[in-house]
Amino acid sequence: MTGDSNASGLQATAPAQRLASFAVLLREHGLNVGIAEQQTMLKILLLVGVTQEKTLQAAWRAIACHSQREWRQWQDIYQRFWHPESVRGSVKVSGQTKSSRSLQQQVQAMHDDMESAQQPSAAKSAAQSAGEVPGFDQHNNGLGDSSERAMGGASRVEPLHSREGQMWLPQDLQALQLLARHITRQLKPRTTRRWQPDVHGRKLDMRLTLRRSVAWGGALVMPCWKASKTEPPRLFILVDVSRSMESHASLFLRVARAFALEASARIFVFHTSMIEVTPLMQRDSPAVQEKINAVTAGFGAGTRIAASLKAFARRDARAQLGSNARVWVMSDGFDTDEPQELAKALEGLTERGARISWFHPTREVPAAAALQQARHRIERFIPLASLADLKAAAHQLH
Amino acid sequence: MQSAGNQDATACVATTVTDARALREQLNRAGYLADDDLATAVWLADALERPLLIEGDAGVGKTAVAQALATAQGAKLVRLQCFEGLDMAQAAYEWNYGRQLMTIRLQEGQRQLQDGDVFHRDFLLERPLLQAISQSGPCVLLIDEIDRADQAFEAFLLEVLSEYQITVPELGTLKATHIPQVILTSNGTRELSDALRRRCLYHYLDYPTLSREMAIVKSVLPQANSRLVEEAVAFVQRLRQEDLSKTPGIAETLDWIRALFQLKQTSVVQDIAVTLSTLGCLLKTQEDRFALSAERVRQLAEGGRSIGVAEKKQPVQHSTASQA
Repeated sequence: MTGDSNASGLQATAPAQRLASFAVLLREHGLNVGIAEQQTMLKILLLVGVTQEKTLQAAWRAIACHSQREWRQWQDIYQRFWHPESVRGSVKVSGQTKSSRSLQQQVQAMHDDMESAQQPSAAKSAAQSAGEVPGFDQHNNGLGDSSERAMGGASRVEPLHSREGQMWLPQDLQALQLLARHITRQLKPRTTRRWQPDVHGRKLDMRLTLRRSVAWGGALVMPCWKASKTEPPRLFILVDVSRSMESHASLFLRVARAFALEASARIFVFHTSMIEVTPLMQRDSPAVQEKINAVTAGFGAGTRIAASLKAFARRDARAQLGSNARVWVMSDGFDTDEPQELAKALEGLTERGARISWFHPTREVPAAAALQQARHRIERFIPLASLADLKAAAHQLH
Repeated sequence: MQSAGNQDATACVATTVTDARALREQLNRAGYLADDDLATAVWLADALERPLLIEGDAGVGKTAVAQALATAQGAKLVRLQCFEGLDMAQAAYEWNYGRQLMTIRLQEGQRQLQDGDVFHRDFLLERPLLQAISQSGPCVLLIDEIDRADQAFEAFLLEVLSEYQITVPELGTLKATHIPQVILTSNGTRELSDALRRRCLYHYLDYPTLSREMAIVKSVLPQANSRLVEEAVAFVQRLRQEDLSKTPGIAETLDWIRALFQLKQTSVVQDIAVTLSTLGCLLKTQEDRFALSAERVRQLAEGGRSIGVAEKKQPVQHSTASQA
C-alpha cells in the first residue's frame, strides 16, 4: 500500500473493506485469494484508480485467478459483486454477506437461510423414495419415459448403511477417507517409456554416470541408477446432480470429495451443464460438508449427460485425457439427450485412451436406453448406494 | 468503489494507464495484436516484478507474447524449452568439468590449488535461467511449456521465480542485478502446483474473436485479398466449433491463408477442390481430416448451419491473438 492510502483513514479504509468483502466472495467461489493477493489488489487499486475500471479489472483478474476455471468464473463474480444491478434473474451468490448486495440477492439469501435451517427435514424427505418427493414426477414429465425414469433414478436403498447422507458421523467420514486412500493406492500407475534417476533403480544410467565421472577425471567412481518412470492415474469424477439423483448426490459428492483429497481427483458436477468443483472439494473445513449439501439444492430438472460429457472432453479436460485417465461417472444414466449421443460422447473419451467406470445408485445396471447403447464403451458398472458398496467394489477399481 | 482521491494518485493513474496502453502499442508495432487484458497483465507483471503464467491451447500465441515483448522493449530473449526429464544442469548451470580438469593439470607441481581456483564463475556454464538473471540489461525469460517439465523441476523454479536468485553451493547465492520479465507458458497437459501458480500472475489466452483474427491476418498478410481473408477466417472460426481433436490455432490460419494466396485463390468457395487440398494446413490429424467430409467443408465455407452446429457453438471469448 502506498503512503497515499494513509493520508485519510476513512478514504483508505472504505475501499479496503469493500475489497476485503470481494476477496471473501472470491474465496467462497474457490479462488485462492490470500492476504498477499488482497494487498496486491489494493496496491493496484490505489495505483490505477477506480476511474479506469477496465484496466483495474484486468489487473485484478491477473492477480486473483490462477487457473483456467477461475479465469472463466471471474467475469461473473466480478459483475455480481461490483455491479449487482446488471445481474438480473440470476441464481444465488453464496458467501456474500455485506451490505453491497442487491435486494434480490438479500431475498435470495433469506431463502437460503430458511432452507438451511430446514435442512434436516428437507434432507429426510430427500432420502425417502423418489415417488414420495413432491414434484418428482413433474420434473420427469415431458421426457417421454417418466415412469422408467422414476424407477431407474430413484433407488429405495438409502445411502450409507440406511443412514441419510446429511447425517454422516465423523467416524463414517473417516472410514470413507480410509477406503478412498486404500483404493487410491491400488490404482495402477502407468509406466511410461521414460526413465528417471533413482538411487534404488536397477539399471545403470550410463549417460549420467559418464557425465558425473567428468568431475573425477573420467574415473567411474559414482555410478548413477535409473528406473522406469511411472505416472499416477489422473482421476476425473463426474457427479450427476440432477433431480433424479437428489437422494444420492450427497453420497456421491462425499465419495468424490474423499478422492479429491486422496487422489487429487478433479471433480465435476453436471445436470444440464457441467462445472468443476474441485477447489471446493479440496478445502477441508466443516463448512464444506454443509456446502456439499447445498450444491445439490440448486440443481434440478433434466440431465444432459451426453452434452456434459462432450463439454468435459472438449473444454474441461481437453489436454489431460490420455491413456492414463480414469473417468468415473456417477449417475443413474437417464439422459434427456438423444440416446445415441451418450455412446458418441463416451467414444470421444475412450478414443483418447480414458477408461470409464460408471457408478449407479441402483442394484442393477440402469435400463436407460442411452446407457444400454453405450455399454460397450464402459469398462465396468458399479452399484454405489452406500459405503459398503464402495468397499465391495474396491477390488475392481485398479 | 472509491477513488484514491488526491493529485499524486491522479498523476500516477495517468502514468500507469499510459504505460499499459503504450505497452499495447509497442506490442502492436512488434507484430503482436494484444487486447487490453493481456497488455495490462504483461504491464502488471513488469510493474510488480512477478512472473506471468499464460495458459491456453496450442497455437493461440502464448510463446509469441514473449518474443514480441522482447522485440518491443529491445530486451534480450532467453528461452528455456521445458521437456520431461529437464534438470538443473540443463536449465540453470553446470560446472565446466573439462576446463576445471585442464586447469588442475596445468597447475600440477606449480602451486597448491584452492577451491576458488576451479570453482569460479569463469568455470560455470550458464544455462537459460542463470543467463537470464545474469543480464545487466533488460531481459525477457521465456519458460516455455512448463507443464512438460517434472514436478521436481517446478519446485526448483520456485526459488528462481520468487527471489530471482540461484544458489550454487560452491559459490553461494547469485542474485539478479536486473530483474528479468518472466513469462511461463502452459498447454494444461498437467496440473501445475498451487505454489507455482500463486507466485505468478495469470492470463488465459483463448482463441481470438472473428474481428481480431481478421486484424491479425491482415497485419501479417497485407497483400492477401480482403475477401479471401474474411472468408478464410470465418471458415476457421466455424471449423473451431467442430468436434476436432486438434483445433486449429492462429498459426494454422495464417499458414492456410498463405497457401491459398500462393495458389492465387481470391475466395474460399472459388474452387472447393483447392480448399480441400489445402486443409492439411488446418487439420493436423488423419482422424480430423477423415471426419470432415467434402460436403461438410462446403457447408462451412458457405457459412451454412447444419445439424448440431448451433449446439456445439461455444460462447465467443474476448481473447487475444498473435502472429506465429
